[in-house]
Amino acid sequence: MTALSTIFSGLLLVSLFLVGSLALRLASRGRRQQRDIERLNEDLKRSREFAEQQRNKLALQSDLDTVKDEFIATVSHELRTPLTSIRGALGLLSAGLLGNVDVKAQNLLRIASTNTERLIRLINDILDLERMDSGRAPLKLRRCSMYDLAREAVDTMTTMADSAGIHFELTSYAPRDSIYFDADSDRMLQVLTNLFSNAIKFSPPGSTVSVQIDSNPNSLLLKVVDQGRGIPADRLEAVFDRFQQIESSDASKKGGTGLGLAICRSIIQQHGGAIWAQPNQSGPGTTLWVQLSRSARASDTGSAAVIAPPAQRGEGLILVCDDDPGIRMVVAEELRRHGYDILEASSGEEVLAIAMAQAAAALEVGTGEHARVPPISAILMDLYMPGLSGWETLQQLKALPATAAIPVVILSVIPQTDRPEQAGDAQGWVQKPFNENLLLAELGRVLGVKGGPGQVLLVEQDMELARVILDGFKEAGVRIDHAATLQQAVDRCLLGPPDLLILDLTLPDGDGFSLVDWLRRQPALRTLPLVVYSGREISEAEMMKLRLGPTQFLNKSKVQPREVEELVLAMVKRLRNPVAEQVA
Amino acid sequence: MRQILIIDDEDDIREVAALSLEATAGWDITTACSGADGIRAAGDPKRRPHAILMDVMMPGMDGPTTFRKMQLIPEIAGIPVLFLTAKVQGVDQRRFAGLGVAGVLFKPFDPLTLASQISEALGWKD
Repeated sequence: MTALSTIFSGLLLVSLFLVGSLALRLASRGRRQQRDIERLNEDLKRSREFAEQQRNKLALQSDLDTVKDEFIATVSHELRTPLTSIRGALGLLSAGLLGNVDVKAQNLLRIASTNTERLIRLINDILDLERMDSGRAPLKLRRCSMYDLAREAVDTMTTMADSAGIHFELTSYAPRDSIYFDADSDRMLQVLTNLFSNAIKFSPPGSTVSVQIDSNPNSLLLKVVDQGRGIPADRLEAVFDRFQQIESSDASKKGGTGLGLAICRSIIQQHGGAIWAQPNQSGPGTTLWVQLSRSARASDTGSAAVIAPPAQRGEGLILVCDDDPGIRMVVAEELRRHGYDILEASSGEEVLAIAMAQAAAALEVGTGEHARVPPISAILMDLYMPGLSGWETLQQLKALPATAAIPVVILSVIPQTDRPEQAGDAQGWVQKPFNENLLLAELGRVLGVKGGPGQVLLVEQDMELARVILDGFKEAGVRIDHAATLQQAVDRCLLGPPDLLILDLTLPDGDGFSLVDWLRRQPALRTLPLVVYSGREISEAEMMKLRLGPTQFLNKSKVQPREVEELVLAMVKRLRNPVAEQVA
Repeated sequence: MRQILIIDDEDDIREVAALSLEATAGWDITTACSGADGIRAAGDPKRRPHAILMDVMMPGMDGPTTFRKMQLIPEIAGIPVLFLTAKVQGVDQRRFAGLGVAGVLFKPFDPLTLASQISEALGWKD
């Protein structure tokens, strides 16, 4: 009896203890949840305040724009009036209509006339830009032939080209019926003559300016290739800004206003297209690219923000931010084709407003409408934008708790190799003009790192073993690629770094050592987590040669594919969530 | 010989435009410094102009107002009027066209081709 009662009281104690600890755990979970909710509420409050600030900023900005527009129009008018007298007086004098002028005076009159003309062009250009930016110059779209427009522009520039000793070459690689597109022909001619005139101005005498037209089912491509002095890599984007000439003396020497390319970009953007500059691949000089949609699709110059939640399509919601609507269009189209949903923003301010609004909506779980808004999976962002730059936007995103976790991929003309200090917060990088495969690979990689299915690369020459491993991972929801040779592995890594590499040492065209050796020389790959899965024992010395990032060595004869899978899954999980790992 | 009336509140522009038309086309020029002055000059039976070149932005009566007043005076209503304006905004141009003027020329004009621009706008062959 005593023994039984001892057992009973023991059991009672144990169950009391269990109930007690359960209650304690529940209470502590309750407190934790309470803290979580408080933290979320705090985030939400800050998000709302921030969104409100951004809205106010935008409203103020729009008022300022109106005042600015009126001011520019008035100033332009007031400048024209005295210029009319000056131009008239100088013109009459230098034409000798009022009697002969001696040579020295003639020269001074010529200087005065030339500079008057320059000032007039400048005022016209400013007014032109102001009109386009304010949306007061709507496009008159009609079906145009790109070839005919280019021909007309070349003809217009013939005199200038001849006197500069420049040869023009116009070639179309596009099928005859695919060079038609919807455009405002006057505006498009303005762009073409401007591009051609730039090419002439910056080309050495005796060189050729080549104009090439090409098309694909959706868009038209026009290239203007010169053999001039070229544009420094860090200025390729800046040349489209106002008053950005490569050399300060260009304005006076070349007679430009410093607004030509800004006007071109503005017109092309109004047409829903894109324009960018690229150094020539072979030889000196620059290629100016113009990409236009073939179907009528003039973009409005207003806000690009689309807050309405799009239908969920699976791959994730990407916020594409570029001040160039043409680039946004091209990127959005490309990503949509691959199952992504797209939000567009035309400025850093819009990115912040949208990201905050989405984050706020996502937090309001259970309030009907908002609950269905998918959170932003990643932000694809240009660096050089008017207003907040990409850097500033990135820093603000990272500084706010509600948006800090959204991965940002930089989409810039700057190559990643020139990636400056501030880039630390960006998770990915794609250079413009972008290659669609690289864009998709980089986005896939970033999304993989951030909670999405992981991206594992299996390098294994044994097809049967590969099949077993691949199937196992696919079941576990991990994205896995397979390379059967060294070359395939290198190619695959170049498309975008995987999250983790599973490596067999024996390969038909080399061995695992040479792959690791190559990976170590790639800045983006040298810290890749690695699982060496080999058929033999590996010595300490060999291990030294095989280490990349976190590296594990497994022997095929001792470790089954199933265990490899578990280990890899654990590694991928740790990669995705290093903070949780530290806490646990 | 063609008789042209120039109406502009800017002394310098009147002088340059007059000189330009006299020197390049040999036309006979009269000038006026305001809309009211212009209506008086246009109504002078001894020097009735073949065409009127008129500024748009003038203190007091502006170009469009002056033009409308002119259309109410039978002796003047038939004289073609060209606006010479520093306003190049599309909105303004459409507004001018709606008034029924013979044409719009822009400042700053080229003094060597101003006469031929006027001839072209008015369909003058000489």
